[in-house]
Amino acid sequence: MPRRRLLLAAVVALAACRGGDSSPHRHTFIDSRDRYDPRSLDPALSTDVPTGRAVSYLFEGLTRFSPDAKLEPALAERWEVSPDGKVYTFHLRSGVRFHDGSPLRAAQVVRSFQRVLDPRTRGGRGWPLYPIAGARAFADGKANTIRGLTALDDSTVRITLDTALAVFPKLLAMPVASIVPDSTPADFGEHPVGTGPWTFARWKHDDYILLARNAHYWGGPPRADSLMIRIIPEPSTAVAEFESGNVDLLYVPEAQTEQWERTDEKKALLVSAPALRLWYVAINTTRGPLADARVRQALNYAVDVQAIVDHLIGGRGRLAAGVIPPTLDGADTTRRPYGYDPAKARRLLAAAGHPNGIDVELWVGQDETFQRVAQAIQGYLAAVGVRTKIVQRDNSSAREAARAGQTDLSLKDWYADYPDAENFLYPLLHGANRGVGGNVSFYENPAVDRLVNEARTTQDDARRAALYRQADSLAFLDAPMIYLFFYNELYAVQPWIQGYEIPAVFNGQRLTTVSIASGGVPGASAP
Amino acid sequence: MLSFLARRLLLAIPTLVGVLVVVFALLYVAPGDPVLEMVGERADSATIARLRKELRLDEPLPNQFAHYAGGALRGDLGRSYITGRPILRDIRERFPKTLELAAAAMCLAAIAGISIGVASAARPGGWFDRIAMALTYVGISAPVYWVGLILILVFAVILRWLPPSGFGHVRYLVLPALALGSRSIAFLARMTRSAMLEVLGGDYIRTARAKGLRERVVLGRHALRNALIPVITVLGLDFGYYLTGSILTETIFSWPGLGRYVVNAISRRDLPAIQGSVLFLSVVFVLVNLITDLVYAAADPRVTYE
Repeated sequence: MPRRRLLLAAVVALAACRGGDSSPHRHTFIDSRDRYDPRSLDPALSTDVPTGRAVSYLFEGLTRFSPDAKLEPALAERWEVSPDGKVYTFHLRSGVRFHDGSPLRAAQVVRSFQRVLDPRTRGGRGWPLYPIAGARAFADGKANTIRGLTALDDSTVRITLDTALAVFPKLLAMPVASIVPDSTPADFGEHPVGTGPWTFARWKHDDYILLARNAHYWGGPPRADSLMIRIIPEPSTAVAEFESGNVDLLYVPEAQTEQWERTDEKKALLVSAPALRLWYVAINTTRGPLADARVRQALNYAVDVQAIVDHLIGGRGRLAAGVIPPTLDGADTTRRPYGYDPAKARRLLAAAGHPNGIDVELWVGQDETFQRVAQAIQGYLAAVGVRTKIVQRDNSSAREAARAGQTDLSLKDWYADYPDAENFLYPLLHGANRGVGGNVSFYENPAVDRLVNEARTTQDDARRAALYRQADSLAFLDAPMIYLFFYNELYAVQPWIQGYEIPAVFNGQRLTTVSIASGGVPGASAP
Repeated sequence: MLSFLARRLLLAIPTLVGVLVVVFALLYVAPGDPVLEMVGERADSATIARLRKELRLDEPLPNQFAHYAGGALRGDLGRSYITGRPILRDIRERFPKTLELAAAAMCLAAIAGISIGVASAARPGGWFDRIAMALTYVGISAPVYWVGLILILVFAVILRWLPPSGFGHVRYLVLPALALGSRSIAFLARMTRSAMLEVLGGDYIRTARAKGLRERVVLGRHALRNALIPVITVLGLDFGYYLTGSILTETIFSWPGLGRYVVNAISRRDLPAIQGSVLFLSVVFVLVNLITDLVYAAADPRVTYE
């Protein structure tokens, strides 16, 4: 019976091949989190997470973030700020060299910032540098230099701001403010040269980026030999790669959370950390019945956010009672979320003159989890008489409509660029940022704006936190959004990886302390 | 033959111009703004206006089209708004990978599909025929997405015979080619079977059998060759379709081909990248159709192009 024997052989082979996980024979740390190719490796073009993360391995700015979101000196060893908060003097670290061997000099800081603001760079992200005096005039082509930016000598840079801005040193830790060498040819984004802990080796577009350890890194060379960023568009495929031992770091999809937490073997690989990321439904405060704060509060009472977190996000969220994440200064952890109270929602709607409910459109992008959350919200709103039509579009169209003020409700998330309450209050709720600035609630409250403005210029940390807290409280009562939750990151890390910590900000982890236990043949197992 | 070729190639030009005009017009009617994609989540209107000017997006549509078409005629497809890289180089990097996958899937489909079809037709209603037709039914109905994930689960995660995804060694090619070709295998098998059955009823087959030819020769030389015309049509259409980027397969298997490139370009409203790739893919499609027509003549002496 040859056929039966064949079947038996197949079963035996299957059992044999299932053997336990073994450590990889490689010294390359392989990341699987990126779903699409970075725009470029040129810092001036870093407007999205994959680009910014890759840039932060290759380049450095004057400052940087630690994994736990503290501001640290990077290329600037230290800095002073004038009592009025307008003049910053940065002292560059001595002995720092670019990957091509050229030394770091203050003139390159000036040139790097000019390059970002130069319209010909076509980067599109000038705002972190706009606080510098004369930066806008330079970007508009009305000046040949940036007035507030001077290299005093080879190792000192003086930056003068138009008005005091307490978060300015944090803005300089963003990837776009990285320092580049004198020579930046047209294909710099393909052959980047920075000062960071990793040097560029190869980029196979839509496939992977390979970086090598910078043996001369001023902060000490990374522990792994090389770093590979694989571009894996399909989350299920990333999971398969992880389970096959081909990648070391996995972003666990929300829908699979329970499955990973169920078995002890898999659970042991999980690491979790609160992210500086808010999920919310922006309520356009200028449209019809939504202009009434009572209606907006009603929407908040109508939705059982805890149930959404538990059932659709795998429990990976902490209910939001404001826009400031609980780990940041200025968050009020004693403030209570609206809470699920459909009866109260109905009463508020009736009080606002809508006893028969209202009709709204809820816009959502193409992400599956977002769509499921939108459907749940639609159900909860229907229960209090708010008839919701879900409008699902590709991300680009959904974002454009929200920015143009064409949406009633818009399901969104906001992922911090830098760890500061200002990065939530100012773009999401300040009147100056309505529309393209990020405030798609088109919320404008002079009292909130005043508090945020004052906080932005206040140097004293405690005082600033208090102002943030007040602004957040005021806006919370106005309910310019349905406050959903702050997201918790959940990663799986292979057992042979040591020293990995989830960063609170996307560019807060440069992987220098990550090591691979009992590796073998270098360079093997790379696609 | 040559005049046929020249005529067909000349006819391709208005087709391509038409494609270009339609794509250009569609992109400007569709929602989504390329500049908003360039600036990211947080921006200001001054930057947006400046970028629009820099990219000539503030000019009237006919001017933009003339500018673009002028470049395309000189072989310059421009640079991506998002990455700043030349479109032509992006395509040149990715097309060979799409071609590799398409060719592998096609070979697999041609060999497996035709063999199964012939074997089924040899004994219609026999056990092989019945099993094969049931399986091909599944093969046609199963979405490539699902087939791809099942293949990864079985051959990469459980059996660990092949890598789940990526590009490189031929081992990386097997699963995506199988996933991509599965529908074609099934379709070709059924196609071949029915064409063969039709041909096998013909007088000349009876003659061939009557003069004592072996069954293998009857099937292979006399029947198959005559049954090939519809099969070639399907092969040609599928091949052209695969070459224009097998988006789902490339996505599931992280295959860095042209399909993913186009989808990314569309989702980021990268106008030059979308226009350039659509233009390129139209050329490919026209060429594949032309080659298919030429292959007809080679397979069937009754077909001539004079």
